[in-house]
Parts: sequence; C-alpha cells; structure tokens
Amino acid sequence: MSNYVKRFSAFDRVVHWVLAVAFFVLVFSGLGLFAHTFFGYFDFFGGPEQGILAHKIAGIAFLITSVLLFLAHAKETCRFDGDDAKWFGAFGGYLKRGGKEIPQGKFNAGQKLFALFSFVATIALGLTGWVIWDPTAMERGLTQMSLMLHGLFFILFMMGAVVHIYLATIGNPGTADGMLWGYVKKVWAKKHASKWYKEVIGE
Amino acid sequence: MARKAFMIDTSRCTACRGCQVACKQWNKLPADAEVNRGSYENPPQLTPHLYNKIEFIEKGEGKDFTWRFLNQRCLQCGDAGCIKVCPSAGALFHTEEGLVGYDQDKCISCNYCVNGCPFDVPRYDANNKVTKCHGCMDRVANGLQPACVKACPTASLQFGDRDKLIAAAKASGKQVYGETALSGLGAMYALDGSPQDYNLAENPSIPQSIFLWKDVIKPLGILGFWGAVGAAMLHYVTVGPKQLEDDFEDKGGE
Repeated sequence: MSNYVKRFSAFDRVVHWVLAVAFFVLVFSGLGLFAHTFFGYFDFFGGPEQGILAHKIAGIAFLITSVLLFLAHAKETCRFDGDDAKWFGAFGGYLKRGGKEIPQGKFNAGQKLFALFSFVATIALGLTGWVIWDPTAMERGLTQMSLMLHGLFFILFMMGAVVHIYLATIGNPGTADGMLWGYVKKVWAKKHASKWYKEVIGE
Repeated sequence: MARKAFMIDTSRCTACRGCQVACKQWNKLPADAEVNRGSYENPPQLTPHLYNKIEFIEKGEGKDFTWRFLNQRCLQCGDAGCIKVCPSAGALFHTEEGLVGYDQDKCISCNYCVNGCPFDVPRYDANNKVTKCHGCMDRVANGLQPACVKACPTASLQFGDRDKLIAAAKASGKQVYGETALSGLGAMYALDGSPQDYNLAENPSIPQSIFLWKDVIKPLGILGFWGAVGAAMLHYVTVGPKQLEDDFEDKGGE
C-alpha cells in the first residue's frame, strides 16, 4: 500500500504555478511604481514603460488563474464548521510545539481564509487595475481612489503571501509536495487534514 | 535661496491674453485649433500646448453682470501632489527657487501626476510625456522674468521674492490666495472677490486618497511586509515547524 495520497490535480498545480509566476512578475514590475527605492527593478524589464506593460500582461494572467483556482476549490474553501472555530481559537496550533491537531477537512481554517482573502483581493486589484489601466480615462476621484486601493490590496497580498509561503514550505514540512507533484504523505494527511484523510481513504 | 513666486492680481487683468501668447512663444508651443463657443475664453481648458490661460468667469445679468478674469496655470505648490505621486525621482521636482519643474527624459508616462494634482493641471503631450507651466524655470535660473510676466502690460502678473510679493499685496489691502495652503503656493492670487467667485477651492489640499496611499499605506506596507518576514523567521526558530514526527520533550520557545 502506498505511503502517499493524492491531493492536487495537474490542473490545480499548473494553474497555481502560473499564478505564482504571474504574482512575482507583478511584484517586481509594480514595486517601481510603489516607491522610489524600488525604481531600479524596472531594469529587469528593459525600462519603466516595458515594466508597466509587463505588469498589465501579468495582471491579466493573475486575474484569470486566481479566479480559476478559487472556483476549483470553492466547495471546500467556502464552508466553515465548528472545528474551524476551534482552529482559529487555538491559532491553528502554531503558538506551541507539539500540540494536538484539531481535525480539519481538505483545507484548514487558515487556508480557507487565505483562499477567500485571495479571491476578494484579486477582484479588488483587478477592478482597480482596470480603472488605472489608463489613469486619464476615468473620473479623477475614482482613479485616485483606485490607485490607493490598488496599493492597499497589494501590501495585504504581500503579507498574505509571506505567511502562505512560510506555512506551505518550511513551516509545515511535507506540505509543498502536494503542490509540486500532487501527492502528500499519508502521515501528513492524518496530521494536518484528518477529516479529509478519512474521506479519501474511505474509513 | 529665498523662495520665488508669482503674484497674480486679478483686479489688474484686462484679459488681453498676452501671457498666453508670450508663453507659447518662449516655450515654442503650437496653437490649438479651436471653435467659437461664444466667449473670448479660448481654449476652454489647459492643453499640452497651453501652460497658462485666462479663464473668463461671467456671472449675473444686466447691471449685476460681472466679468472676472483668472490666469490659470500650475500653482507651483510647496507640497506638490504631482511630485508626491511621481514614481520617477527627478521627473518632477522643485527648483532652487521653489518652482515645480519637470524633466521629460525622466518621465515614465504613468500619468500619476495627472491624478495627484489638487488643481488638475498636468497634461500629456503627443510623446506621452508630462507638460505644464514650469514658471519658465530656464529663464528664472538665468535671472530673467517668466515670459508671461515680461509680457503682461498691466503688471497683473508679477514674479519675484515670495515674501515681498505677499507683503506688498497685503499692504494694498488685497486678499492673498495660497499663502499657506499646500505649504504655500508658488503662484498666488490677489483676488478681487472670494475664492468661490473665481471657482477656486477655499482650502485646496492633496486629494485624501492620494495622502492615504503615499503617506499611510506605503510606509505601513513596507513595515508590514518586513514584519511578516520577521514573524515567520521568529516563529521558525522559537516554536518551530510542525514536524510529521512530533515527539518533543519541550513545548517550544524554551
């Protein structure tokens, strides 16, 4: 019997990594517009005008993949139960070493929250990005508000991404396997997603 | 260097529009083809080829009719919204005299200044680069008067030491517009009426959302990013990761 259990389909994995690449292109092409300190990052793209163009292209890729990824998992990520409340109450068990894990479905409460946040932020960034695509096309007040909100959701997404990357890699050894090649170890599933593990094993 | 500024005395303006012509001549700007809209005001707003213009404010009927003239231009803010939002350092800048100049070679065509300006002044030319009144910074740097000021036949437009111009306007009983707003405007009006009479904002300021964006979200965002990185590192070396084999003797953080 295999030591592994399938967690993400090839579709999930490809969409996720296109999204991740688009995210980093967006960060590095957008930071030059965010603060003078990062203006040099435009050099990666051949100059500011080309950087802004890359930002727009990557933005479309990010919007599409982010919505696809959300829809693919919406059934699991939009449903919270009593165990999730316990999970939030215990901060996911991240505040102490070796505690007992709270039973969770395919995604734990924190992951579900991040999925919902990502979707909302993607839509907000997409809408405001559409307004500031040509910053002189629309009414000034709306454009000014969009510039501000685009910056706000950008920094929220950056902070979310830091937490997401940490917890999905070194913070929880074994987690990244699922997104890298689709399978996770059974011990991982039992520990982190015991309710989901029981479902797929059919116990 | 003491800050220099324009003082625009509206009561002296005869709307001859010599300032518009002199500006085009010095800055080598072509004429805009326009249509007759039943007013001497022309063009109706600033264009990429029109750095200053006379606004004709016509109010009332018959004996109550008033005709007011306002020289519209970049007001050379001390706290300039355009400079605040410009991502390219040096594309928009304050000159030694306190004028808001620009360098088209550094302009990245992002159009942010168009939205950062409290007065809707900056325009983009055919090359998609910023243009606006720069107070003839080239002439001023060489000790000359701006072209519009030189051409003004009634001394409605004056340029010189900012403090002296304010003192002179106040001594003659004029209400000065822009003495303190936006850290002091570098183009002020000595108004013959209230700011509303001239369609001017009572208290001009940087748009609220621009302030939040650049002065709140940006610094807090950089702090938030590094805070998140720091928190993750601290978590890893104190509590540590959730290992799959979890038989520990301690509870972390010890």
